[in-house]
Amino acid sequence: MPVSPVSSRSRPTLGQTITSQPKSISFPGKVKATQTRGYFGANQSRMAVSRTAMILPDMKSAEKLNSPTSRTVTQVFDANGVDVTPRPLYRSDTHVGTAKPSKLLTSQEGSRGSDYISSYSFYQNTLNPSMLGQFTRSVLGSSTVSKSSVSTTESITEDLEEPSYKWERLASFTDLRVLRTIPGKILKEDLEKTIEIILTETETLRLFDLPTVMLSVESEEAEKVSQRNKNYEILCRNRLGNDLYVERMMQTINGAPKNKDVQCDRIIKEDKGIMSTAWDLYDSLNALELSSLPAKWPAADSRSRTNVAAKPREQRAPGSTTEKNSEASSLMDIENVILARIHDDEEDRSEAILKSDKFHQDLFFMERVLMENIFQPKLAAYRQLPVLKEPEPEEPKEFLQGKKVEEVEEEVKKEEEEEIEISAEQSTIPANLERLWSFSCDLTKGLNVSSLAWNKINSDLLVVGYGHFGFKEQKRGLACCWSIKNPTWPERIYQSPYGVTAVDFSIGSPNLLAVGYHNGTIAIYNVQSNSNVPVLDSSESPQKHLGPVWQLQWIEQDRGTTGDDKREILVSISADGRISKWVIRKGLDCHDLMRLKRTAASSNKKGGEKEKKGEALISRQAPGMCFAFHPKDTNIYLAGTEEGHIHKCSCSYNEQYLDTYRGHKGPVYRIAWNPFCHDVFLSCSADWGVAIWQQETLKPFLSFYPTTYVVYDVAWSPKSSYIFAAANESRVEIWDLYISTLDPLIVNVANPGIKFTTVLFAKQTDCLLVGDSDGQVAVYELRNMPTALDSGRGDIIDTLLGPKSHQPG
Amino acid sequence: MAEVEETLKRIQTHKGVIGTMVVNAEGIPIRTTLDNSTTVQYAGLLHQLTMKARSTVRDIDPQNDLTFLRIRSKKHEIMVAPDKEYLLIVIQNPCE
Repeated sequence: MPVSPVSSRSRPTLGQTITSQPKSISFPGKVKATQTRGYFGANQSRMAVSRTAMILPDMKSAEKLNSPTSRTVTQVFDANGVDVTPRPLYRSDTHVGTAKPSKLLTSQEGSRGSDYISSYSFYQNTLNPSMLGQFTRSVLGSSTVSKSSVSTTESITEDLEEPSYKWERLASFTDLRVLRTIPGKILKEDLEKTIEIILTETETLRLFDLPTVMLSVESEEAEKVSQRNKNYEILCRNRLGNDLYVERMMQTINGAPKNKDVQCDRIIKEDKGIMSTAWDLYDSLNALELSSLPAKWPAADSRSRTNVAAKPREQRAPGSTTEKNSEASSLMDIENVILARIHDDEEDRSEAILKSDKFHQDLFFMERVLMENIFQPKLAAYRQLPVLKEPEPEEPKEFLQGKKVEEVEEEVKKEEEEEIEISAEQSTIPANLERLWSFSCDLTKGLNVSSLAWNKINSDLLVVGYGHFGFKEQKRGLACCWSIKNPTWPERIYQSPYGVTAVDFSIGSPNLLAVGYHNGTIAIYNVQSNSNVPVLDSSESPQKHLGPVWQLQWIEQDRGTTGDDKREILVSISADGRISKWVIRKGLDCHDLMRLKRTAASSNKKGGEKEKKGEALISRQAPGMCFAFHPKDTNIYLAGTEEGHIHKCSCSYNEQYLDTYRGHKGPVYRIAWNPFCHDVFLSCSADWGVAIWQQETLKPFLSFYPTTYVVYDVAWSPKSSYIFAAANESRVEIWDLYISTLDPLIVNVANPGIKFTTVLFAKQTDCLLVGDSDGQVAVYELRNMPTALDSGRGDIIDTLLGPKSHQPG
Repeated sequence: MAEVEETLKRIQTHKGVIGTMVVNAEGIPIRTTLDNSTTVQYAGLLHQLTMKARSTVRDIDPQNDLTFLRIRSKKHEIMVAPDKEYLLIVIQNPCE
């Protein structure tokens, strides 16, 4: 009868957990069971079974198990009944464990309390830091200690229960039905559920509290404290040598510190950097406000942010990349198809990029920028920006700055130098035309420029009509809108099989362009759109012109009595002898302003010749070549005919002329009113002559026959009432009547084979546009023009009338 | 589409233009007149610079955005029209 019970006990405790009653184990044959109060365990049937299994072979004594599950508080008695239950090696803080478990016991007396208690006690004990690591057994021991404390019996065989600790622990955790929910099957939806995590502030944990020892001088206790301080000082001073104070040393016992190492899993750290910029915040805010539409190429966008420094922009649909991949992978030959697919997508995307509007616009700007670079000094000269020399003649600078502009070409540079050296007075260099650039491209090569017109609003936009004058030379026609900013390619191209003979931009709606053709049709284009189809066309109209439309002009007419606002009409004159006005209502509506009748020579003039009906149109009508409305009174206009007569007509009368000016012997190609003197007008004709007329006089006031070539076009300068330009076949002349009425001021000779056909002054600048028969419109700058005197705007008639009247030739 | 091609061709044949490139957002050239390595190099470098420039412009005023970038150097001028999906780059020698 050794102390085998101890050892024999050890085995059964492998599986045992709880017994209903504390067993006192003594020698076989003598078993006393002392029960603790109210110590019932929960299930642990498993344990119990094992225990019984374990026990039975060992213990031959019939140990009854009242309930399969109950905690064992075993006591060992030796043969003499002496309690020899080994005591625990370690006692935990009994205070810690007692309070709660006892509560539990009392609350759930007699019913399944023990396992809670046990588990709770375990819980408690495991939390007790002082236990950890010191005695592994003592952990178990402590658990049993607490049990024992609860059970109020001291005899506990903790070592018996040691191996079972683990099991017990597990068991107790599984017992924790109340305190812990058994985790069920985690469903997939749960994983993807949005879990709300609410972070709240805990109460303040005070780790260290050092109350201040400083007081404000103004506080109430300041008096007392300062008094105390003073007393202390006195005390310290008195201390030395005073018998009341004896020095003595003390030694404090410091406990020996012990190091404890703990090893934990490596904490994986990740660095994440973000650059937060003002625009990023702005974008995020906007993204929240806008409804997020899935972007067209979300994959491309999500991949486009490759640069680390840049912040990712708006969140695109994140699943799109996966979408694309899954599409590809669903096909048979995965690898090849994926590659092909991605390649296709890339191609598609690059096609889409090339087709996109933004790309188109960017190309447009790029071209303009290139143009600016190439033509920059010329454009600067055109826009009359100061042109200065620069020390290092390498780079042209941005001319928009307007400060310094580089000259590139040698001759121009030389002239600049001269210009700078010479003062602004009458220079020794005569006035000249300097060619800046010319509008031309492949399309326009070989065509004859027939008309030029500026846009009324955008002074950079020019329309050029290309078409031949003669009947035999008819080729296809072209009307192009050019911009100053791009002299190499027109902005709009309107092609037609017939030659264009007249163009004009509307005043009221500056996007409307009227084009007159050699076959008599008039088409109206909207230049805002890119389409080549005219908005309106007169080819269907029953009253369309039957001969080439030689001139078109938009006129704003006062309605006058009817009280309407100024309405705009389109007036056209054509070779079939009609001057018509066209009104845009539902289509082009035509009314005849005047039918030009042939007038015989002044000697045989008959009034009111009637036209014969049914006759060919050639006989009685005089083909009209040009017209000009009076700048002030839009009711009066002049019309030039092929006969050489200029008729003054009024819109109110469409049968009779008011006056006829006879002076030219050939068709009058152009009439122009002086912009400053409203009595004077200018005309040019195929009889090689240019004539200046005064309104009241039926004979020309001045006429010029500089060459033996047909003069196609004349125009007054917008800056001075004395200056006008004339283009004849071989040269362009600038006349300044103030200086001389015999010779032109500037003569620019054309290259052989090229005829100058049209001239147009630029409004704001000193530039002249000259169109020729090769399809080029050259821009010339008038340089060194004599400065316009104040009387430049004055009445040239008065100036010229006196001493310089000239006999008409 | 044809118009785009025509405009591109016109740009390429302008006076002084050394090269024209259209690269997509990843730096892969869509259209280029220079050799591949040069194109890729330009694309990569200009992409970063454009990002920086755009970031600068937008930092000052988030409602603003970069539309065009021109870099003038001793030898030539690089013009970049940036977009979210592509870069249009033209290199021109403006002196001749």
